[in-house]
Amino acid sequence: MSANVRARRPPSPIPSQPPRSQRFPTLTHSRSDADERRTLASKGYIPGRKPHPSGGVYVTSAEWKLLILITLIAVGIRLFRLSQPNSVVFDEVHFGKFASKYIKSQYFVDVHPPLAKLLITLAGFVFGYDGNFDFKDIGKVYERVPYIAMRLVPAILGVATVPLSYLTLRALDCRATTSVLAALFITFENGLITQSRHILLDSPLIFFTALTVFFWVGFCNEDKQQPFSDHWWLWLTLTGLSLGAVVSCKWVGLFTIATVGFSTVYQLWLLLGDMRVSARLFFRHFMARALCLILVPALFYMFMFWIHFAILSGSGDGDGFMSSEFQHTLRGRGMADTYADVAIGSVVTIRHVNTQGGYLHSHPHNYPTGSQQQQVTLYPHRDSNNDWRILNATTDGSEPQDWATLPLTYVAPGMRIKLRHAATDKALHSHDFRPPVSDVDFQNEVSAYGVPGYSGDMNDDWIFEIYEGSKKDPQSKRRLRTLRTHFRLRHALTGCYLFSHKVKLPDWAYEQQEVTCNKNAVLANSLWYVETADNVLLPPDAAKVNYRRPGFLSKFLELQQVMWTTNAGLTDRHTFDSRPDAWPRLRRGINFWVKDHKQIYLLGNPMVWWLSTAAVFSYIVVRGLLILRAKRGCKDFENTKVVKYDTLCGFLFLGWSLHYFPFFLMSRQLFLHHYFPALYFAILLSCGVFDLVTSTLRPRIRLQIAAVLVIIAIWNFIYLSPLAYGLPWTKAKCQNARWLKTWDFSCNDFYDSYDQYKGIDYTPQPSQIVPTPHGRGAVVVEGPVPIVSVDPNTLGKAEPGHDVFAENPHPDVKSDPAVEPVQYDPVVSDVKEISSNQPLVIPKQALPLNRLRRSKKPLLLQH
Amino acid sequence: MSGVQDVRQRNKGKGINRDASGPSSAVDYDDHNVAYLPSRSYIESFLNTEEASAAVVAILTIIAFFTRFYKINHPDQVVFDEVHFGKFASYYIRREYYFDVHPPLAKLLFGLAGWFVGYDGHFDFENIGDSYTENHVPYVGLRALPAILGSLTVPIVYAIMKECGYSTIIAAFSAIIILFDNAHVAQSRLILLDATLIFFLSLTMYSYVRFKKLRYQEFSPQWWGWLLATGTFMACTWASKVNGILTVVAVGVAVLIDLWDILDYKKGHSMQYFWKHFIARAAGLIALPLVIYLSVFWVHLAILSNTGPGDAFMSPSFQETLRGNELLMKSHEIRYYDTVTIKHKDTQVYLHSHPERYPLKYDDGRISSQGQQVTGYGHEDSNNQWQIIPTKALPETGRGRIVRHEDVIQLLHVNTGTVLMTHDVASPLMATNEEFTTWPKDDHSRYNDTLFHLRLSDAAPGEAWKSKSGHFRLIHVPTKVAMWSHPTQLPDWAFKQQEINGNKNANEKGAVWYVNEIVDSQDPDLKAKLEEVEMKEPKRLNFFKKFGELQLLMLQHNAGLTASHPYASGPINWPFLLSGISFWTQNEGQKQIYLIGNIIGWWASVGGICIYIGILGADLLARRRGLEPIPDDVRNRLWNSTGFFIIVWAVHYFPFYLMSRQLFIHHYLPSHVASALVAGSVLSFVLSETINTPVSAWGPSVKPRPTTYADHGVKAPVMVAVFAIAMFSLYLFISPLTYGTPGLTGEQVNARRLLSSWTLHFAAKESGNI
Repeated sequence: MSANVRARRPPSPIPSQPPRSQRFPTLTHSRSDADERRTLASKGYIPGRKPHPSGGVYVTSAEWKLLILITLIAVGIRLFRLSQPNSVVFDEVHFGKFASKYIKSQYFVDVHPPLAKLLITLAGFVFGYDGNFDFKDIGKVYERVPYIAMRLVPAILGVATVPLSYLTLRALDCRATTSVLAALFITFENGLITQSRHILLDSPLIFFTALTVFFWVGFCNEDKQQPFSDHWWLWLTLTGLSLGAVVSCKWVGLFTIATVGFSTVYQLWLLLGDMRVSARLFFRHFMARALCLILVPALFYMFMFWIHFAILSGSGDGDGFMSSEFQHTLRGRGMADTYADVAIGSVVTIRHVNTQGGYLHSHPHNYPTGSQQQQVTLYPHRDSNNDWRILNATTDGSEPQDWATLPLTYVAPGMRIKLRHAATDKALHSHDFRPPVSDVDFQNEVSAYGVPGYSGDMNDDWIFEIYEGSKKDPQSKRRLRTLRTHFRLRHALTGCYLFSHKVKLPDWAYEQQEVTCNKNAVLANSLWYVETADNVLLPPDAAKVNYRRPGFLSKFLELQQVMWTTNAGLTDRHTFDSRPDAWPRLRRGINFWVKDHKQIYLLGNPMVWWLSTAAVFSYIVVRGLLILRAKRGCKDFENTKVVKYDTLCGFLFLGWSLHYFPFFLMSRQLFLHHYFPALYFAILLSCGVFDLVTSTLRPRIRLQIAAVLVIIAIWNFIYLSPLAYGLPWTKAKCQNARWLKTWDFSCNDFYDSYDQYKGIDYTPQPSQIVPTPHGRGAVVVEGPVPIVSVDPNTLGKAEPGHDVFAENPHPDVKSDPAVEPVQYDPVVSDVKEISSNQPLVIPKQALPLNRLRRSKKPLLLQH
Repeated sequence: MSGVQDVRQRNKGKGINRDASGPSSAVDYDDHNVAYLPSRSYIESFLNTEEASAAVVAILTIIAFFTRFYKINHPDQVVFDEVHFGKFASYYIRREYYFDVHPPLAKLLFGLAGWFVGYDGHFDFENIGDSYTENHVPYVGLRALPAILGSLTVPIVYAIMKECGYSTIIAAFSAIIILFDNAHVAQSRLILLDATLIFFLSLTMYSYVRFKKLRYQEFSPQWWGWLLATGTFMACTWASKVNGILTVVAVGVAVLIDLWDILDYKKGHSMQYFWKHFIARAAGLIALPLVIYLSVFWVHLAILSNTGPGDAFMSPSFQETLRGNELLMKSHEIRYYDTVTIKHKDTQVYLHSHPERYPLKYDDGRISSQGQQVTGYGHEDSNNQWQIIPTKALPETGRGRIVRHEDVIQLLHVNTGTVLMTHDVASPLMATNEEFTTWPKDDHSRYNDTLFHLRLSDAAPGEAWKSKSGHFRLIHVPTKVAMWSHPTQLPDWAFKQQEINGNKNANEKGAVWYVNEIVDSQDPDLKAKLEEVEMKEPKRLNFFKKFGELQLLMLQHNAGLTASHPYASGPINWPFLLSGISFWTQNEGQKQIYLIGNIIGWWASVGGICIYIGILGADLLARRRGLEPIPDDVRNRLWNSTGFFIIVWAVHYFPFYLMSRQLFIHHYLPSHVASALVAGSVLSFVLSETINTPVSAWGPSVKPRPTTYADHGVKAPVMVAVFAIAMFSLYLFISPLTYGTPGLTGEQVNARRLLSSWTLHFAAKESGNI
């Protein structure tokens, strides 16, 4: 919804001289109306000079000099003491670590797409970083890390945002004064400064957002001028590429895509209503936009992941989040080929399909609850305790163990089998006991039970059912084939299905995943497949199989899914997280770093921030008033000035709201810095409002007002700059700077005077809070107790944002090896077994809605 | 059909000018004479006579009553949520206080029905499958209420369509979708709230349509009558079930659109006229419903005057208004040097300490103070006893010795002679919270760390601390942390007891405690008081305070219903009928009740909505290109009348996507009613582009315009008849799942599993290939 609604469209092309564009004739003085002439005059285009077309950015040489000056100021502000602090700050913990992993080619998973991280890695790599620093804690001092080069990437992109804002406003037809104001507001925005000085992803994100907006505005100008010219295509393609770049930095970039998307749809809607545009021409417009704004960004985004996969070729701590096929493609995670056929007597490892829980596993430890028999779990690592031998349960007369002497029998659907744990020689068993964690009626415990030599009872029997095979292997639908057949195991007596879900068992089972027998099983969670199979009866040259190597597309899609589910699952609280409603009023910042009596605290420039919020609200109020007035018959929208500023502010407001409101729907952990893209739009909007308010004033007065605003902004910036740069400060100044009670930087950390900072270089190790069991002395109190004054903000410890992928999802707890055969008292366990040998019982499944008063745990009881 | 073609031709190009014609929009209709179709088919004319219409609605109503009442006494067992709503009826009859997330109107009606059939409220509806006959519960009377309301919904749906100007056969089509719908039948035959909700919802829609039709006779008595009726029924919907609030929103949206049109300058109304309309609607649709909603709660609270299972949810001051409540009976003021036991409100553990100490080093390498452990313990024990020590000088006797709000106290652990304290050492399980421990009472070196502020919840300055009712937070004086606990067990070194630590956020819910019992007191009076138990008169509390508290709790608990249920389903499944709910099963005879709709009706409804969106989208695009494929009258009908149904449908459907609570398919039933109406109007449009006009009553300012009639020809009755037969057959086919009788064999169950996602019981086991 940029400047594509023109103030007044000529009713029809002028017949005498054919215009260059069918739709929009060139704007010249000769054919512009009084309003436009005045506008042009105000920008210095007086008649007689060479007329400028309104499309594109036309900046005079004096303005270029001004722009260079502003950029130099921004360089000074953004790069000032970039090397300080020389220790890890906030989320550098994560993003620095990711750079290390890229350099070492160790696979990792993160919720953000790779572009910004790749840029940072590139900087580190060029300056010789070897990837050996662990970025463990905030405040850890850098050793042999080119952290300045890495910080330079976001810093330079942060600097580049400044001239972009200038050019964008110029292209949106604002005055030079207004554009300078916007550029300086952004230069002196403390939050943007802090954010761009560290190894964080938001500065690239904001830069690419600004770039996209700039290109898009340029394209809209071209579009009014002459569609399908070379320039037009160039601007459109550049918009598409930068859209791809935004969304490859962080998924927040999707909001930028939405902004451009809405704007495009509106453009097309106008074109559709323009009866002079033929259907063919409309289709060309449509296809050009679809190509450049959908296909190009998508390809760019996928290309980034292609690079990502190409670099991360080795195994790393992100493996556990991916499917087995995916893991197979990573160096150090491959698997040897295994027999394709599974027969009675085969030793197999069985994996769960739906969760990444791993292999069906048992170890010589017993359940402390239920039947107290041996545990059966899912275990994520390869281990000899994952081996099970398939035995025939229906052999008449002969013992199941006789498989070696019988002819080879493939495992086929409907077959009744037993699974014997190879290491402990017990059978996979289920019975009418409730599982330890999922204590519900429709689930039964699964255990390993039996003694060597005892062929087991009916509760060891499972019916083998094939759910689906592989299309490429027709055999896999008819009999069990390794890796290719997905099957279910139905318990012969109770009819329940072998089942597992993302529920961890307690410590006594080493937090492995629970396995149960579920009478009401979700299909996906009751599917299993055989990963390896070995059978002495098979000849060594029998057919072998391995995982299919997934192509780029399937790897890409799988990773997207993992990122999505994990991103939605980031719901833990963080000490400094905040909700979207707090952002526009700058309620609270984020503690980035505290060390050596200095701190870095992410906080915006209050004046710029509040001014931008005020501009947004004034736009809403004025626009609402205009709509009401239009409904009552006022003809405001026929005034060119109203239309011009409505289009300008409307576009910026659209950008702001699309980058802000969707956060309300997110229940994940949110931070103040998520507001920054919206803040960029809000600052531009405030300058647009400034342009409107001062439009009737003389240029000189306008310039004076702008100067006053800039001076206030700079004063604000200087006042809070010790927090942005991590400079020495004093307690008193800090207390004075706490304009809002909710700004919770801890003033007590600062010294009382600047002198105390002299001589202190830095402590080599992060300071740690040491417990002081005998700290405070006795105070004898008589009468009412004097309240001991304590700074309420004692929570001044910086924490990085939560990274779910930071730890391996499956702790590497080694499974206990099979120890000596455990001593049995067969009589005792038999007693239990006979009783569990029950006829088939259909459970009563109807449950009332799970309301508060029905829940078993007392929720809110007082007595 | 050539006539219709003519109409289309002639309408071309007129639409744009219509709106611009200003105030006379309702006057200048002369050229519509050409749209009058005298050649109406005989069947159409006959069906649209009042007698035929009455006959159709009578037949539909009779069938509706039959389907809803057929074997209503089966099963004679508690089914599904009858566990809850039956129980609530008992509570009303016994006048015992209970708490539920839903507003009380529908449940009050059940109570009334129970009282009417002479039920004494003795039965507790404890479990699904409990027998009614053995317990002598007149359950048929209770079930008759929703069955009646559910049956009446059918003629109301018919009437809505009729009032909107659709012909008899179309109205019958919509009614049949509801009539033969197994989900509606199953839901209305049991003691559940949805039938009441849907009944009032359809009445609200009916009243609103009647009100809207009188728009040219504004402020006439009928107009006021239907406006107030809309408000009344809307309030009843809202008061029946918590999602009835969506009905309020739906009507609100429709009214706002209406007002926006009145505001339009081109309509030529003055602002004064607009404000008159605005105030009338505010009175009828905001003020009146609020009064009704409040009075329903007033009745609810007036009836439930005795203590009951819902007490525990309420605040102490609320509980003290209930006769026989424990707080009322056993709450006493606490004095210094009393020995008390303290309980955590959320998890019900006692504040406990024992001589064992924290281990020096935890598993994760952090270090403790090695002080004495303070834990939460679930059982009574002498180690739970704490004595309250003053920090100020006390008078010898009298009320000065009472502990009050904002006092600073010490807590002395009686058995070990140590005082409770906390300090800046990380707690065993949470590095961000402070460790709680104790300190010998004679060692004053840590005196400050043993001081705690007593902060009572909602207390006036100087209010006395009472046992049971005095909920409090204990704020550490030097570090400002609050004593807090959470249901996580400490390791073996603390005998798996619950962790207690100091939370920096004193407003956390888990920081509320109360004194469970005064074990020992130095005050002889109190000792005597503890002995005697007298019957106290309940205290009084302002109705609005009670209402506010109850309303807040209902919201909180509604949002808190997130536990998983095997039959919960997401909103995306609902319109396509992908999943149902198992209400009841009986092994003997393999009987079951499974809530599932009639798939023909549901898919027809969702198809109607898709066609509607397609038609309007195509129309908008075409108009943008200067084409007008749909005549104006028909288009207005699609926008205004079908648009209203779509609003009702969307408002009752899409908000569920935002809810994270447990959702079930029966939450879609109100939307399903609206979608049946949409399906009817779309069918009317698809069959023929003729409509009945005008539907609105003429007003003084409106020039009468010629009448046109819809003509769907012979094909409409034939199609609807075929549809009805198909619906009826499928309804019969699925009915064993709806009525719970007769029992089905495994193969029969398999045959009725029309979609693989239906999880029916007693399915025959398929072995081998699946």
